[in-house]
Amino acid sequence: MLHRLGVLALLVRMFVKSQMEYRGAFWLDRVAQILSYGAVLLTIWILLNKFQLLGGWNWPELALLFSFQLLAYSLGASMSFTQLNTLEDLVRMGTLDALLTKPINTWAYLIFSGLNIGYAGHIILAIPVLVWALMAAEVQWSVGSTLFFVGSLLSATMVTGAIITMIGGTALIWVRSNHLFAIFFGFWELTRYPLNIFPTGLQVVMLTIVPLAYISTVPVAVLLGKPVPLLGDFAASVTLLAGPVLVLVAIAHWRYALSRYQGAGG
Amino acid sequence: MTAYAAFARSGFLTSLAYRNEVWANIFGKLVQVFARVAIWLAVYAGTMSVDGIGIKDMITYALLGGVVMGATRHDRIVRQVGTALKTGDVAVWLLKPVHYPLYMLAVEAGMSAYTFLLAVVPTIIIVALVYGMLPPASPFHAAMFVAFCGLSFIIHFLVAAIFGVLAFWLMTIFSLDWLLGSLVTLLSGLLVPFWFFPEPFGAIASHQPLAWLVYYPSAVWLGQLDIGMTLLYFGIGLAWAALLALALTLLWRRASSRITVQGG
Repeated sequence: MLHRLGVLALLVRMFVKSQMEYRGAFWLDRVAQILSYGAVLLTIWILLNKFQLLGGWNWPELALLFSFQLLAYSLGASMSFTQLNTLEDLVRMGTLDALLTKPINTWAYLIFSGLNIGYAGHIILAIPVLVWALMAAEVQWSVGSTLFFVGSLLSATMVTGAIITMIGGTALIWVRSNHLFAIFFGFWELTRYPLNIFPTGLQVVMLTIVPLAYISTVPVAVLLGKPVPLLGDFAASVTLLAGPVLVLVAIAHWRYALSRYQGAGG
Repeated sequence: MTAYAAFARSGFLTSLAYRNEVWANIFGKLVQVFARVAIWLAVYAGTMSVDGIGIKDMITYALLGGVVMGATRHDRIVRQVGTALKTGDVAVWLLKPVHYPLYMLAVEAGMSAYTFLLAVVPTIIIVALVYGMLPPASPFHAAMFVAFCGLSFIIHFLVAAIFGVLAFWLMTIFSLDWLLGSLVTLLSGLLVPFWFFPEPFGAIASHQPLAWLVYYPSAVWLGQLDIGMTLLYFGIGLAWAALLALALTLLWRRASSRITVQGG
């Protein structure tokens, strides 16, 4: 067990080293990402500067929503997105077959040999905004709300990782699955805004089939004491459970997909 | 010229082969158009008009943003030009009797035409039926909207191709792609039109080239610009397009004259 963990740590070290080989390019990429997300945050500010409220949420509350979403997404995606985004190519080229013969869990190898430290840019932007917003939005702090904040952030991270893993893993069955990421990111952009502004149909989808509401709008609404559509008083417990439950579903899905894998390349 | 027409046709047919990808993309964008409409309904919160702009105008603006930005993808252009320069694949094109940027323009036109006709138009019709959409302010504005859409495509392509060629010096396609993404988010008017920007930023934003991507086509449809102003801003847009074309030509000439391809 210890030996296996040692192998995973070595894989991470090797990948980080390779990423940092071109240090200048690495940080230039991070600056570009910070500017890109900063531009989105700025447009939300421009909108709120003119209209004051969006679905009953003011500027600090929306900044909290934005930064919580960005942090949960980057933590979850660093453990899944770039690695599983390339799974489609591994299947098509037949490279995956070589991984399957390695004496290590295929998922663990894929994830840790590509642990994406590139999300540093997201985190550098998200943390200061989150700290400022938590103070400005006047959250009522108590032991309970602090535990909920930490727990819901962890759960949100798990939700992100689990959904991305399921989308990526589908490539094992369908060969192509990357087009599903376009749909994922379509919904993902909506999680920067409060759930209550969307039509009921869309709310239902985001709480069930594409459960991205749990990565931001549901936990942040609970933290701010705002009503959550459809879930009502169950919102807090559902959002804390969503992460662990989806991780279990993702594990089952990965195992199923791997059992259906027949190879596509050669 | 026939060669470029063939490239445009091949771009169209390539999209036909990757139907799933195009449809998934459109579905993703459709969700975003729905979201933008929902955002405007939420901020207006029952008010009929803000600064003389009605809620119906803003719903139409959000839908038009989907029309003009739905088909062309700057990330695709930046990556394609950047990768060709970085990998050396561009050398093959330098040997052929075609101009590479024009070839890219033709392919992109073909791909955009496919997405526009078979995906953008139907999806916008669906959203328009759900939320209602204002017709163009007048036949003149309708005709000018079409012209502005063409100009939007050209400027979109030129800016993306310039960013792609910059990869020759900066050697990073990733950051150029994201950088352009941030500029488009803020300065094309896709999310928030410039009439809601605090001054003087609104005035500055409405005179830079990216404003012709979404803001002007949509403003013209809504009749926010009278006949004289419409023609004036079409002229300014053409001038920007000419300037960007010149910049692209110069950058391309410098890049292609200095390119050294190692390996093959």
